[in-house]
Amino acid sequence: MLLDFERLAGLRPFLIGLTVVVCLFLILPIVFIAALSFGSSQWLIFPPPSWTFKWYQTLFSDSRWLYSALTSLKIAAIVTVLSIVLGFLAALGLNRGSFMGREALRALFLTPMILPVVVLAVALYALFLQLGLAGTTIAFIVAHLLIALPFSIISIGNALEGFDKSIEDAAILCGASPWEARLRVTVPAVSHGIFAAAIFSFLASWDEVVLAIFMASPTLQTLPVKIWATLRQDLTPVIAAASTILIAFTILLMVLAALFRKGRKV
Amino acid sequence: MTEPFLSIRSIRKTYGQVTAVKNVTMDVAEGEFMTFLGPSGSGKSTTLYILAGFQDPTDGDILLKGQSLLSTPSHKRNIGMVFQRYTLFPHLSVGENVAFPLRIRRASQVEIAERVKKALKLVRLEGFEERKPALMSGGQQQRVALARALIYNPPVLLMDEPLSALDKKLREEIQFEIRRIHQETGVTILYVTHDQEEALRLSDRIAVFSEGEIDQIGTGQELYANPATHFVAGFIGDSNFINAEVLSNEGGQARLSLSGGTVIDGVPVHAGKSGGKSVLLLLRPERLSLSTRPLDSGLVVTINDITFLGNNIEVTTHTGNGESLSVRLPFGHEAISSISRGDKAWLSFEPKSTHAFA
Amino acid sequence: MVMSATTDGGQRTLRRDGSFGYVAPGLLLIVFFFVVPVLMLLMRSVLEPAPGLQNYVELLGSTTYLRVFMNTFIVAGLVTVVSVLIGYPVAWLLAIMPDRWSRLVLAIIILSMWTNLLARTYAWMVLLQRTGVINKTLLSLGIIDKPLSLVNNLVGVTIGMTYIMLPFVILPLIGVLKSIDPAILRAAALCGANKRQCFARVLLPLSLPGLAAGALMVFVMSLGYYVTPALLGGTSNMMLAELVAQFVQSLVNWGMGGAAALVLLIVTLVLYAIQLKFFNPNRAR
Repeated sequence: MLLDFERLAGLRPFLIGLTVVVCLFLILPIVFIAALSFGSSQWLIFPPPSWTFKWYQTLFSDSRWLYSALTSLKIAAIVTVLSIVLGFLAALGLNRGSFMGREALRALFLTPMILPVVVLAVALYALFLQLGLAGTTIAFIVAHLLIALPFSIISIGNALEGFDKSIEDAAILCGASPWEARLRVTVPAVSHGIFAAAIFSFLASWDEVVLAIFMASPTLQTLPVKIWATLRQDLTPVIAAASTILIAFTILLMVLAALFRKGRKV
Repeated sequence: MTEPFLSIRSIRKTYGQVTAVKNVTMDVAEGEFMTFLGPSGSGKSTTLYILAGFQDPTDGDILLKGQSLLSTPSHKRNIGMVFQRYTLFPHLSVGENVAFPLRIRRASQVEIAERVKKALKLVRLEGFEERKPALMSGGQQQRVALARALIYNPPVLLMDEPLSALDKKLREEIQFEIRRIHQETGVTILYVTHDQEEALRLSDRIAVFSEGEIDQIGTGQELYANPATHFVAGFIGDSNFINAEVLSNEGGQARLSLSGGTVIDGVPVHAGKSGGKSVLLLLRPERLSLSTRPLDSGLVVTINDITFLGNNIEVTTHTGNGESLSVRLPFGHEAISSISRGDKAWLSFEPKSTHAFA
Repeated sequence: MVMSATTDGGQRTLRRDGSFGYVAPGLLLIVFFFVVPVLMLLMRSVLEPAPGLQNYVELLGSTTYLRVFMNTFIVAGLVTVVSVLIGYPVAWLLAIMPDRWSRLVLAIIILSMWTNLLARTYAWMVLLQRTGVINKTLLSLGIIDKPLSLVNNLVGVTIGMTYIMLPFVILPLIGVLKSIDPAILRAAALCGANKRQCFARVLLPLSLPGLAAGALMVFVMSLGYYVTPALLGGTSNMMLAELVAQFVQSLVNWGMGGAAALVLLIVTLVLYAIQLKFFNPNRAR
């Protein structure tokens, strides 16, 4: 009875009530930030005395905000491409290989995802200081790639799991070289996994805070670093505006992913 | 002597300690339909994969028109193959699937369009060009796969249990199609199956695989009438085996003593691994005759059960020392009405038509 | 090397296709930029300023640092307990409610999960501040008569972290609860168990492995969190990840930083090992 929705009796209002509260708890802060970004109060008074676009104007007229957003975009784009390519190769090897220690290797690939990111950040920071790469775009890309790669390996690996290798063999017998077969047959067949890998990798890089804080220099900052640095000084509504843009971006990607999934079903 | 079209020479394949293929040798003529028949694990599929180039043999060679294939990678062998599982490219339409080999070979658009149409006509799927594979039945998918494998006119077509995922009725329908396509195109086909009925229906010749070796190659009739080994005898057609003892053996014609003391003469004996006196005698159920009256040279049996199977009737029996024998009688056989469970009966057969395996 | 000895159809595992070569580029990245730097950092913890274990002696011997450890465990534990208490009923409802509604709730959960971490933390900083909406609402309702301090302390960290961790409890639990056959609970009821007994003796034990796995994951993730505690917590309840960062960034003490990082690393790995051994969802129950 406890698992029959219709027969929960007295429990049902309790569970529904709690779930509604949790939903509000999860969604309201996001709505609140979006609303405040249009509010006129410097002190983030809610409800705002009047509505305005001035925080967005400040945001877009400040070249440092724009520059950091572009930096974020550039790094996330490069990381996404590299993550897909390396992730596809690694997933292919892990999925089909018969070499020793395959499972241990899979675990190693996924470790950066589960370890405290601050440990990785500090270790990489030390390495890049020694290599003279601290504060460079390369440092950012490498760091972000490390945490994006597990997402690619999982997404593409799952897709490959559901792909019959005989199909690739069929393409080879049709005359395609092994790589031609992979590009023309396997890649399109696992495109949903690659697409998911792209979204996850992009978001992993785009949203990364801790690694970015350590990789950044005063002249090279991603958007989260810029927000972090600003936040440590004050709670200006400009951050609300920047956060709202980030949130809009996330929703856009989620909708895109949902549409893509729907398109596949037809 | 003319060069055989396709020649498989002493192929051996081992994985570490395990030997998958021990020693396979055969010649296949151009246009022949050759079936590899055997239980799973008998090495028939491995041999096919070696032909396709997905595996390299440990030893041996494969010659196509006198040229060794082994140094040619799979995609340059120009061999067609239809797989056990459905292998249509899921993102491409039926037309694009069939066109794929020609696109790889950079054929012109006009030529591709024309040949795709012809290939789909061959497998009777005209008008399905735009269909996505996911929306087709298993039988249709395998026909598209066949069209895709034939469109580049490969000299050899490999088929690895292509019908095993289909139900019986559909399987028979497509067997008929394959037979027709073989006749229309004249392509040489190597076909793997574990289904003897399928092998008999389709093939010109059958190679019976057992434990990594070929026990016998021959037409279905040859394999049925003159099985070379106990295994072939048991695998092709229905069979009974009973124990017998060799009394004398002259040039492969033996005099045997059966249980119950019956002695028969002139039975062909096939030397096996054990050269001893005891042999197994093959008795085909449909070549036994049953009598309710005592016979001098017959086997005395007791009736266990009588089963009606449509156009014939199966009678299961056992001998005095418990060996079971089934007999197949045509519908309406005179003996049927007069026997019932537990009765004694006498079985007789033509000694020359049986075989004994040591 | 173990070879699977199937002969028919065994071509997948047996074919020599140089699969290891595909893994190599990714492996190089992981080794050079993950394994090596982490090992180097750990080396520095025993080499700087002089070879020896003095960094660890100091870290584990001083009350200041011990307080940080305590804080870390308290916050992680508190967040885990609160998340489980709130998350379990929500997952329960989501597992059995009609799809139409559960999809909406799931969308909300996933949206909050994917929203930028800083944006979410910023929202709570604003909401919880002395002049924030929560304090103002409570004041105007007359529940309190002076603003509560909700930020820069344990309360702030716990609220902010629970907000982040809730999806990680709810999402896996939905699957666990969905895999339990409702007929089992109907059977329990027919056996005479009342609602409370059904829950305590059937539903909870059946979902416990999944619940424990989720709780342990949240606990481990919380242990190593940096951003949210740094922004919502006070200086008096610093957590381990902040300590690592502070050693390196402000104090430029690589020896102590490495030692603190190693402690964090070991605790994390040990807890993950426990999770894999006892609560592995991939293993048959």
